[in-house]
Order: sequence, then structure tokens, then C-alpha cells
Amino acid sequence: MAKPLFELKDVYFSYMGKFPALCGVNLTIEEGAKVCVIGANGTGKSTILNMLDGLIFAGSGSMKAFDRNITSGVMSEPGFSRVFRKSVGFVFQNPDAQLFCPSVKEDIMFGPLQLGVQLDKIKKGVDIIANRLKINNLLNRQPHQLSIGEKKKVSIACVMAVEPDVFLLDEPTAGLDPATTRDIIDILLEENMAGKTIVTATHDMHIVGEISDIAHVLGRNKKIIRSAVPDEILLDCEFLKDNNLVHVHRHMHDGRIHAHPHLHTEHH
Amino acid sequence: MKNNRFVERSITGALSFFKDAIFADEEALKKGFLQARDARLKMLMVFVLILAALFSKSIVFIAGIYAFCVILALASSINIIFFLKRTWFFIPLFSLCIALPALFDIFSPGEKFLSFKVFFVPLSITKQGLSSAGIFFARVLTSVSLCVLLSVTTRHYVLLKALRVFRAPQVFVMTLGMCCRYVYLFIEIIQNTYMAIKSRAGGVFGIKNSQGVVAWNIAALWQRSYVMHNRVYEAMLSRGYSGEPKVIEEFDFTYKDWFWLGTAILILGLSLWQNHYLN
Ligand SMILES: Nc1ncnc2c1ncn2[C@@H]1O[C@H](COP(=O)(O)OP(=O)(O)O)[C@@H](O)[C@H]1O
Ligand SMILES: [Mg+2]
Repeated sequence: MAKPLFELKDVYFSYMGKFPALCGVNLTIEEGAKVCVIGANGTGKSTILNMLDGLIFAGSGSMKAFDRNITSGVMSEPGFSRVFRKSVGFVFQNPDAQLFCPSVKEDIMFGPLQLGVQLDKIKKGVDIIANRLKINNLLNRQPHQLSIGEKKKVSIACVMAVEPDVFLLDEPTAGLDPATTRDIIDILLEENMAGKTIVTATHDMHIVGEISDIAHVLGRNKKIIRSAVPDEILLDCEFLKDNNLVHVHRHMHDGRIHAHPHLHTEHH
Repeated sequence: MKNNRFVERSITGALSFFKDAIFADEEALKKGFLQARDARLKMLMVFVLILAALFSKSIVFIAGIYAFCVILALASSINIIFFLKRTWFFIPLFSLCIALPALFDIFSPGEKFLSFKVFFVPLSITKQGLSSAGIFFARVLTSVSLCVLLSVTTRHYVLLKALRVFRAPQVFVMTLGMCCRYVYLFIEIIQNTYMAIKSRAGGVFGIKNSQGVVAWNIAALWQRSYVMHNRVYEAMLSRGYSGEPKVIEEFDFTYKDWFWLGTAILILGLSLWQNHYLN
């Protein structure tokens, strides 16, 4: 059995003490795993990823990462936080927050610069990443003037530039066209083959099967209510419907309106 | 209702003008004389030329600097109509309003040039008034044109980085850059929210109603900017930021850049010398 990288034990968290976002979450993520956190809107997916990235801290319960108990005190130790930031990369849900430099190129270089990587090495890295994500033509543009999909790709490039061991991705494919989604999934799978841990939060059932070996489902009670292999969850229509992960689909059949649950696993 | 439409159109018009005027960079991407200059030396050159215009007391000399500025614009293949429109119609008009009172004998006593009565108040334009207002106007026009020239031929972030010549601290430059970006973002948010409201309300809502919407919008905007601020900070932390941002500075200047800076300094020298000589 692989080494656990992150361990959340009975974690509670609420925003400003009054908006509960996590209510007793238990979660273990092992090194090299590909994991999905799925759930309807507002079930706490983003909150979990923020916590895994050491940006917010458990109100009660505990989170362990890299064999340390993560608290705000630990994260302000310069030595540990540097290692942590180098090892964990986070693609935010909102790319406008993630991209804050004046040009795409500088945004990609920001992470490695802060971590003290050498300049010529950074520049080489930028070229390689830009090629892989097919964003060479965007390098001199201003990030805030890109389309959503382009912004998402640039956000991913920014995180890849740091060469982390763990990728945390918050809805990486939301709002992207099928071909771009495909590209991004392929890149994530390649990274996973190379031994990187991939944690994705999504409600896009199309991609769950591919980008995870195990899926954790967050319920309306803001807890993990089920953890299983994706196929098992994807075939359980009742369960998915109860958790707002499929919708009932109406269309015309032989001139009559006909309703059935629409599983987001295949196109039709 | 008609009134409301007018306000609506002027606000949306002003927003998109502002966006185009400040954030467009198509001129900066053209290949031209000023676009090829190093941003730091270009900034110094413009700064020196503005000083020359401010120090000179001869309107002919200032007109010469202005002509030089227009020639530079032409050499940089800037759309000259666009350039003149931006400089002539907007900012100098304000300065004309400021300079206007100085024309009259109440403010500038002296040799009468033209006399007339407005509402039984005798007024005359004096020669001294005319020449000081003229010089003032020429100075403003020239400085504004030079600034506009600098800003349209240089991409914004390069300009910000060039601020480092004046020893602006890194954090300041970076924060300024982010402010620019978020001003842009918020203009977009306002435009989008406005469009969303319009599409929901079908464009028909009374003045009372729309005032409510505006007030609510401003509140929401503050809220959003606060949330955004937090998110951006977290994004920076997440990528290893730890207090002082590290950025790279790359500028490349050639002997040509130094030559043009030299020319500007020469013009400044000439202006100072002429001042001395005229007095
Ligand atoms: N900044 C915030 N302030 C207050 N409540 C928040 C904030 N962010 C999220 N929440 C609340 O926390 C819960 C979980 O949100 P989130 O983790 O963003 O869900 P998801 O990413 O699954 O859509 C939601 O009920 C949401 O209303
Ligand atoms: Mg979310």
C-alpha cells in the first residue's frame, strides 16, 4: 500500500464561523493516486481543495500532509511552506484570481521565480509547457483578455511550471469545449503516469471515469457519503439522482414527450 | 424615460471609450519607430521633452516640440486621426477652460487687445493674458500628447516595469499593475452585469428602479472586489509567494536609444538656454 500524502480526520470547517462548508469529512489520499471529489454545487469541493493546499485550516478535526499536522503555524514556517508550495500545485476554480501577472508568460514564470529556480531553466520550462498545452500563441497576451478556456489552460500551465508532485484541480474542465477537455485530461493522465498525484473536484460526470481510480462523493450534508471506484458510482442512477449529479432528461420520442434520467457519461 | 436612455448610453459609451483608450494595445504592437525603442529610455526621453516644454517661455519653441511629437507619431505608424482626437478633443479642452479666465483684464491686467461687454460688465482681453493663456495651453497640449504617445506605443506592463527606472519599489509596481488589471476586470463586470440586468428586465425599467439597481451594483462590486482580493492573495501564496515578489527585468537598448535620449536632452538644454537668453 502506498504512503498516505493527505489525511483528513473528522474535519469541520465553516466560513466566518457561520456558513458551514465541511461537516465531518474523512479522507485519505495516497501518493500517486488519481482521485476525484464529486458533488453538486455548494457541497464543499472547493473548500476541501483549499484545505488540501494549506490555504484554510480545519476548524475542528485534523489534516495531515507530508507527515505533518497542518496548521497555520506550520504553514508559516519558511522551510516547510517552501517545500509544501513546491510539492503541491493548485488550479483554482476561478482563473481570474489565479492569473494576476501582466502577461501570460510572466504568469507562468511567477511560481518558479518565487521558488528560486534559475532563469534559463524557467525559460526552457515555459517553452515546453506552452507546447504541451498549445498556448505558444498566447504567451505575450494579457491574461485577463483571454477566453475562459484559454484562461483555464494558462492556469494549468502556471501550475505545471512549478513541477509539483501533487496537482489539485478545481473543476478543470468546466466550460471547456470537448477537444480542449480531451487535451487537459490527456496531460493530467501523463502526469499521473509519471508518478504525480492528481486530485480533481468536478461535477462533470464525463471525466470522472478517466481521471480517477477512486471517487469520493460529497453529499448535501457536507460529508463524504460514498467512496468507490467511478464505474460503480456512475452506474448507480438512483444514487446519482438523489445527489443532483444527473438530471431528468425530456425529449420527443414518436411524437410523445418522454422523460428519463440523463447520465452524464456518454454523449447521445 | 428618454432622459434615462441618454444617461444609459453615455455611461456605457464612456465605459467602452475608457476601456479602449486605456487598455487597447494594437498600436503598441505595430512596428514603428517608438515601438522599437527601449521602454526605459523612451520614458526618460518623454520625461525630458515634457520638462523642455514646461521650462520654455516661447510659444514657438513649444510648438516646435509639439511638431516633433507629431512627427514621432507619424514615424511610429500611429493612426494620426486617432492620436489627434485623443489629445485635442479631450484633455486640452479642460485646460482651455482653466486658462480662459486668464485672458481677461480682471485676472491679467495689461495692454487691452479686445474689449466687449457681457451683461453690462466691461471685459477686455489683454495681450499679456492672451500670451500666457496661449503658452499654458501649448504646454498642456504638448505634455499630454507626449504622454499619450508614450502610452500608446508601449504595452502597459512594459511601461509599469519601466517605472523601475525611477526607483519605484517592486511591490508598488506590481500592485499598480494588478490595480490596472482589476480596473479592467471590474469594467467588464459592470458591463456584463448591466447586460444581464437588461436582458432580464428587457431594457425597460424606470428611473427609480434603475437607481436601486445601480446602488445594489456598487455594493455587490465592493463585495466582489474584497472576495477577489482574497482569492488573488491565496493564488499567490499557493504558488510560493512569500512577501517580496520576484520578477525578472529584461530590457534591451541599443545605441539608437541613447541617440534619441541625447536628442531630447539637447532640446531641454536649448529650452533652458533660450530662457536664460530671453530674460
Ligand atoms: N467565501 C465564502 N463565504 C461564505 N460561505 C462560503 C464561501 N465560500 C463557500 N461558501 C459556502 O460553503 C459551502 C461550500 O462551498 P464550496 O466549497 O465552494 O462548494 P463547491 O465547490 O462544491 O461548489 C457552500 O454552502 C457555500 O455557500
Ligand atoms: Mg467549487
